[in-house]
Amino acid sequence: MESITNSIQGVPLNHYILFCAILFSIGVMGVLIRRNAIVIFMSVELMLNAVNLLLTAFSVHHGDASGQVFVFFVMALAAAEVAVGLAIIVMIYRNTSSTDINVLNRLKW
Amino acid sequence: MSLLSLLIFLPLAAGLLILVLPYAWQQRYKYVALAAVGIQVIMSAFIYLNFDGNAFSGIDAKSKYQLVEQVSWINLQLGRLGSLQIDYFLGIDGLSMPFLVLSSVVMFIAVLSSWEIKTNLKGYFALLMLLNTAIMGVFCALDFFLFYIFYELMLLPLYFLIGMWGGARREYAAIKFFLYTLFGSVFMLLVIIGLYFSVQDPITGNHTFNMLHMMNPDNYIPGSIFSALAEQQIFGIPARLLGFIVLFIAFAIKVPIVPLHTWLPDAHVEAPTPVSIILAGILLKIGGYGILRICMSIFPDAAIDSAWWLGLIGVVSIIYGALNALAQNDLKRMIAYSSVSHMGFVLLGIASITAEGISGAMLQMISHGFLSTMLFFLVGVIYNRVHSRYIHDFRGLALIMPKYTTFIMIAFFASLGLPGFSAFIAEAFSLIGAFTSESVNGLLPRWMAICGSIGILLSAAYLLWTLQRMFFGKTRLMGGEDWKSKLTDVNGREIFVLTSLTVFALLLGILPSLAFDKMNASVLELIRLVNLK
Amino acid sequence: MDVIITISLLAILVLYLGLFKAAKALLPVTLVGLLVALGLTFNHWDLANNTKSIFSGMLLFNNFSVAFSALAIISTFLILMLSKDYFERISANVAEYYTIILFALTGIIIIASYHNLSMLFIGIEIMSVSLYILTGIKKRDYASNEAALKYFLMGAFSTGFLLFGITLLYGASGSFDLTEIRNYVASSEEISPIFYAGILLSIIGLCFKAGAAPFHFWTPDVYEGAPTLITAFMSTVVKTAVFAAFLRLFYISLSSVTLQEFWVPVLVVLASLSLLIGNITAVYQQHFKRMLAYSSISHVGYLLFALIALSSASDSAVFLYAAAYTIASIIAFAALMVVQKQVGNDSFDNFNGLGRKNPLLALTLTISMLSLAGIPLTAGFIGKFMMFTGALSTYHTALTVFAVLNAIVGVFYYLRVVVAMYFKDAERNELAVPVYFKIVLVVSTLATIIIGVYPGFIADLI
Repeated sequence: MESITNSIQGVPLNHYILFCAILFSIGVMGVLIRRNAIVIFMSVELMLNAVNLLLTAFSVHHGDASGQVFVFFVMALAAAEVAVGLAIIVMIYRNTSSTDINVLNRLKW
Repeated sequence: MSLLSLLIFLPLAAGLLILVLPYAWQQRYKYVALAAVGIQVIMSAFIYLNFDGNAFSGIDAKSKYQLVEQVSWINLQLGRLGSLQIDYFLGIDGLSMPFLVLSSVVMFIAVLSSWEIKTNLKGYFALLMLLNTAIMGVFCALDFFLFYIFYELMLLPLYFLIGMWGGARREYAAIKFFLYTLFGSVFMLLVIIGLYFSVQDPITGNHTFNMLHMMNPDNYIPGSIFSALAEQQIFGIPARLLGFIVLFIAFAIKVPIVPLHTWLPDAHVEAPTPVSIILAGILLKIGGYGILRICMSIFPDAAIDSAWWLGLIGVVSIIYGALNALAQNDLKRMIAYSSVSHMGFVLLGIASITAEGISGAMLQMISHGFLSTMLFFLVGVIYNRVHSRYIHDFRGLALIMPKYTTFIMIAFFASLGLPGFSAFIAEAFSLIGAFTSESVNGLLPRWMAICGSIGILLSAAYLLWTLQRMFFGKTRLMGGEDWKSKLTDVNGREIFVLTSLTVFALLLGILPSLAFDKMNASVLELIRLVNLK
Repeated sequence: MDVIITISLLAILVLYLGLFKAAKALLPVTLVGLLVALGLTFNHWDLANNTKSIFSGMLLFNNFSVAFSALAIISTFLILMLSKDYFERISANVAEYYTIILFALTGIIIIASYHNLSMLFIGIEIMSVSLYILTGIKKRDYASNEAALKYFLMGAFSTGFLLFGITLLYGASGSFDLTEIRNYVASSEEISPIFYAGILLSIIGLCFKAGAAPFHFWTPDVYEGAPTLITAFMSTVVKTAVFAAFLRLFYISLSSVTLQEFWVPVLVVLASLSLLIGNITAVYQQHFKRMLAYSSISHVGYLLFALIALSSASDSAVFLYAAAYTIASIIAFAALMVVQKQVGNDSFDNFNGLGRKNPLLALTLTISMLSLAGIPLTAGFIGKFMMFTGALSTYHTALTVFAVLNAIVGVFYYLRVVVAMYFKDAERNELAVPVYFKIVLVVSTLATIIIGVYPGFIADLI
């Protein structure tokens, strides 16, 4: 356990921040660009996981466990969100036979 | 509960009573309303008779106001901003007392002329009473926040009264009126907040909305936005000047001045007769009253700096209003424009900042209150009978309606300033004020007074020309025999109203001291305050 | 934390009632439960206002929380009173609706009383996940589906931003606790740049949830697509809760002068944009519900004023404004539901002549519109007055002038429905207004006027 902590702390914090920021941005771009509801959904998950990673890194660097506890909260709530989100997508698929969000133009923006 | 609160809230109680009375009693609502305003007339007469104009000059000292009431109303703790202290603070002096009398009389007449309203009586009288409350409140309030609440409260009933019981384009007229006035008043609110942050109660040290404290330069916190010494600027304009301009525009929209007058003809034309009467008889005066009570007293330095512009606006309103009146076909529109013209004298008188000018302006407001009420009532009389008020629809009315013609001649001659009527004294004093201003304080050039007198000439022209077109010659009517049978002469109720108004106009014309005595001390005090700067 | 526990248990109880087919008991039990929760909330009211945080600093149930929780519970109560027979028309499983609404309320109360960013996140998620379901609850209705998906995607997206912001705040300060973060700001010589990034991302995340421009684009669609009752819940209770969260975070942790120099300009831009976009687009709407949706964006703009002029007075300003806005909106939505149900369409023309046929409905709707527009002697005026006072006290003159101009535009579109009701005549039948609706309408109207005339009694709550 000690060695894992040490090896995580061996990498400078900035690298984690940068890496997670990039992951997060990929997620954001995915949400903005992709048109398939499932893929958008996956991009959101990517954003959340980038956050999880960063939380862990910060947690180790501060030597404070609360960051890692927070990760569990995020995972649990993300799971709940996935359940609801997939249910909504299934519901839409039943009504429209498509998961492309371009079909969703009944309400004008 | 003292007299002023009673005066303010009596109509509200009457309005609520009307709301709870069953529909079956529809025809009795008007008597409830009439009783309420009747009591108000008696109360205001009582106030007038017991008013001591010399000992209590008012303006900037609480001890010099009469019938003062001060109760804490809203008291919120705002942390860093201190506490938000708003008082229910009423009182009257020579500037406000005449308007209480005027308002109660005009309201009385408005209720009497509401006999013509046929639809949704419950809503109508309830709104009328609410309006009455707001009007009385505006003239009594000495806390700026309270004043603002009453001032805004006037808007809503009027909006509905015009919008629901008005003519064909009532929706447009109502929203135009509403947005114009609101536009002025929301900016007024910002100035009120600014003043609030600048002024301290000398005793408690809290920020205050008390108008009387705002009038005293010593109460301004050094360095605050409206402090005269700090010379702050907002958007590159001196803050005090900007504050004055914003307040002036808010009230000037009500007066109204050219070019902010365009709501007035529309509102008048679309409004039912009683609402026109209230609009012309009271509402326009609130603009003038506000300028005297608030703009001049709180920002005397800016008032002196901009007196020339005020005078100019007054002259332009006189001439422009009169020329427009000359060109109207609609009798009501013509009177509306003549109001613009007559209210121009008020502004001219105020701008001169002389005792004659301001007294003249005050008297002009009161006299115009009675006369425009009479004029609109007279228009209402023929409109009720044949539903037309176009000048060219009528000719030779003198032959079929002799009594009516007598009254209209009285009203017209009184309005154009025939000696012996109140308007003569009022306009003469305003013009004398404007004329002597150059030698007394050098604020207004003489040509403004001269241009103002041209306005009198023009008003003679449009009034006499209308008289000639509508009433003289052979009877020829647009609607033929049908109209002839409908155009019956004035009935008892109408004669009562018209006679009493005539009496008021004559009384003030022959014995102007009835009004001057009560307000003289206040006017002098106001001038002292303005020149203090 | 008896309030949170009570409401969660209530939700489960209601679910069981549904299981045992006690459909008649659902609404009364829920309402009684809410009243109990309300009583428990006021039990926490502390005159001295020095409540200690509980659960190792996770929650702080002080007067601020009491005020906002009470507001949330009361508004939920009023909204649920409108729900009689409403859910039955949509689906057979009525108990779930009440349950999910109560779960959302639980989240909201956590949001109003968090003292640790993890609680903020959990509260927001409990609330949001419940709302995703509620939005899409009309399974066969296409608009409802679409609204649910849009809301879900946008909601999850914004949660990502909020989380990233929280993470960066944690990364810089080393704690999720609000007081610890404040201590970090106060003690450190130089604040880490990732802390600033964290503030920015949290603002984005919270503005998404509150529906402030330019993060507002989901609001009109979601508000229109969702069942009207849920829209009422979202645009009032939820918005208030998000602002309570916003205010708490910024007031406790981020109120130091150096930080204010950073985020105040950001919020000024957001507030002006919200006012502008909300008002201008609301003017062009032909439908009452959509108009309310757009105008809610502009109200977010006014609410942001309290943050811009952050001081100890901000909480009562936000509370007054939110209370005024919530109560008035509930009236508006109640009227909307009556009209929608019986006419089938909510364009302004369908309100024509209502003043004659339904005087009570028309009068209450008028007062609510006046309150939303900010006319004196209604609660809305006091709210706006407090906002403007705060903004002027911190010398945001230009912003205030801009807001005032927007307020005039607001008057114009709010009065349109009043114009339709009173000034335009139409042949129409009297709409039947159920007793429950009448109670809600009258109570809310009275509250609007009482707060407008004498605001002291609720403003002193905080």
